[in-house]
Amino acid sequence: MDEVIPRAADVMIQADGLTVGYGEHLVLKDVTFSVHRGEIVTVLGGSGCGKSTLLKALIGLIRPLAGSVRIRGADITGPGRSAALDRMRRHIGVLFQYGALLGSLSIADNVAMPLEEFTDLPPSLIADIVRFKLEMVGLTDYAHFMPAELSGGMRKRAALARAMALDPEILFCDEPSAGLDPITAAELDELLLEWNRALGITMVVITHELASIEAISTRCLMLDGSAKGIIAVGRPDELKKDSADPRVRAFFHRQPRLLRAGASSAAAEG
Amino acid sequence: MTGLGPPREGGGTERRLWAPTGPLTLKTVTDHWKTLQNLLADPSVRAVRVDLSGVDAVDSAGLVLLKSLRDRCAAAAIPYELTHVPESLRPFFAFGGLDRPGVKKSLPQKTAANPLERLGRLTLETLQDVRELIQFVGSVTVAFFPCCLQPKRFRLKEVLYYVQRSGSEAMPIIFLVSFLMGLIMAFQAAVQLRQFGANIFVADLVSLALTRELGPLMTAIILAGRSAAAFAAEIGTMRVNEEVDALTVMGFNVTEFLIMPKVNALALSGPLLTLFANASGIFGGMVVGALGLDLTPASFLLEAAEILSPADVLSGLVKSFAFSILVALVGCLRGLQTEKSADSVGRMTTSAVVTSIFCIILADAVFTVLFHVFDI
Repeated sequence: MDEVIPRAADVMIQADGLTVGYGEHLVLKDVTFSVHRGEIVTVLGGSGCGKSTLLKALIGLIRPLAGSVRIRGADITGPGRSAALDRMRRHIGVLFQYGALLGSLSIADNVAMPLEEFTDLPPSLIADIVRFKLEMVGLTDYAHFMPAELSGGMRKRAALARAMALDPEILFCDEPSAGLDPITAAELDELLLEWNRALGITMVVITHELASIEAISTRCLMLDGSAKGIIAVGRPDELKKDSADPRVRAFFHRQPRLLRAGASSAAAEG
Repeated sequence: MTGLGPPREGGGTERRLWAPTGPLTLKTVTDHWKTLQNLLADPSVRAVRVDLSGVDAVDSAGLVLLKSLRDRCAAAAIPYELTHVPESLRPFFAFGGLDRPGVKKSLPQKTAANPLERLGRLTLETLQDVRELIQFVGSVTVAFFPCCLQPKRFRLKEVLYYVQRSGSEAMPIIFLVSFLMGLIMAFQAAVQLRQFGANIFVADLVSLALTRELGPLMTAIILAGRSAAAFAAEIGTMRVNEEVDALTVMGFNVTEFLIMPKVNALALSGPLLTLFANASGIFGGMVVGALGLDLTPASFLLEAAEILSPADVLSGLVKSFAFSILVALVGCLRGLQTEKSADSVGRMTTSAVVTSIFCIILADAVFTVLFHVFDI
């Protein structure tokens, strides 16, 4: 039974005091934020700051050491989490960094998988829906190709079609533009924006591509590895112009830290 | 040319001049390094001057050589001077930091853990392993009955796929191994039995040994090498590609979707392969009997049929059923335990085979005792 969410409560994701780590190594400490219906929230930060870990905690792949995550009001981290996770998974879609399509199936079969498993639609209707999703990502001509036969960008688009197969309410993307040429990346951004406008899908996008961030974000959450949490929240143009934090400004203005062979380490930290 | 000049005396210091000519690159650095080793080993050296006017090319290796010389002179408190640096090399030297003294940071060493710490860590890892094993066995047990009873969840298409790969495609190797084993056993036995004119009992030996022990055991070991490794590698690679995560996040039950079809497939094909192995082995014995022991095929087969009771064949099949399930479970478990690297896939595949064989032998021992106690 799905939980009926009243219109007023439009908080889709609520993280409170989230602490995530592996063994003794803490990656995120006491992270709190919320994502509202219809927002596109980009999560950014340098390498190793915990973006992927945060994503895994939000989709229930890692159990946090402390704190809670509520998706559509249901707690997926406390007791009763398996049932909550089961219900939640029908309503979210995830685009993994390298697609994570099943290598032994064609992309049409990959997109059809969730439809066959979780609905009782007849095969012909499923085929139509698959064609519709592949059309949306521009891959109709490649429906019967295997993932290994496609380029990285096409695999991502196929994986996106799969993530959207059941019309999820929340879409999570792990570095969707990584490894794509500027044009394909821009097309992917356009696709995300269109879906967000047309279907009202809430999106959480892990990325560090500045162009994408500025194109699609309603809000940004910036993480930092040494702070082990969020150091800035806001619209990308605000953060770029008005942030008081040097780390945030350096990120948005692409300021490299000078690392020269022979330079003293003090110079490198400046 | 090494360009090492004679010691120059003056002002109370023994100053050595090093003026290499030609390129200071990967190809030439080794010789220069040897020269410099000798130079620095000489205790009478009090100052070093390097003249680069004869040098036309320097790459990273050459740069590092110069930096190393500079640092070692600094460490030995010997004045060091770099002169006549060609104009074309100055930007490279500036980029490489030759113009300013460096803070030499040695690479962080991995401290070797003391034996007690290692023992502690090993114990914790083993306990974690046992915990994962129990969780795994639990999840499979919970999935087992619903899986088999509901047609849609049984995944017949996948089960048949694995029956073909693990079962029918294994038949050639099973035939070869069992046939040869039957052959060898009959041959070895014949040497002894012939002395007593007891040739016909070769049939008894071969058929009993095969149906009760060797048939199920060898079939299971071959399954371990073929199928446990295949399952571990397949699931392990899926782990590396995040396909298992993707399935979990989409709401698929990994146990039902990935593991049960493989377990069911082996549970079906294992006993069938064992029957086939038994037949192949008896056939092998029969060949020896016919060719070397003056036994007609008919008499061989009749004797075998007489000595074998249903209990012999069935006990072998029950063992085979258990072995096959163990092989599948171990293969899948190791696959799920794979970490995200190619190296890990290799290790887990190997571990799948080794652990399967261990479990098979252990189970065989348990069965042997059980059958003995119940007089089967």
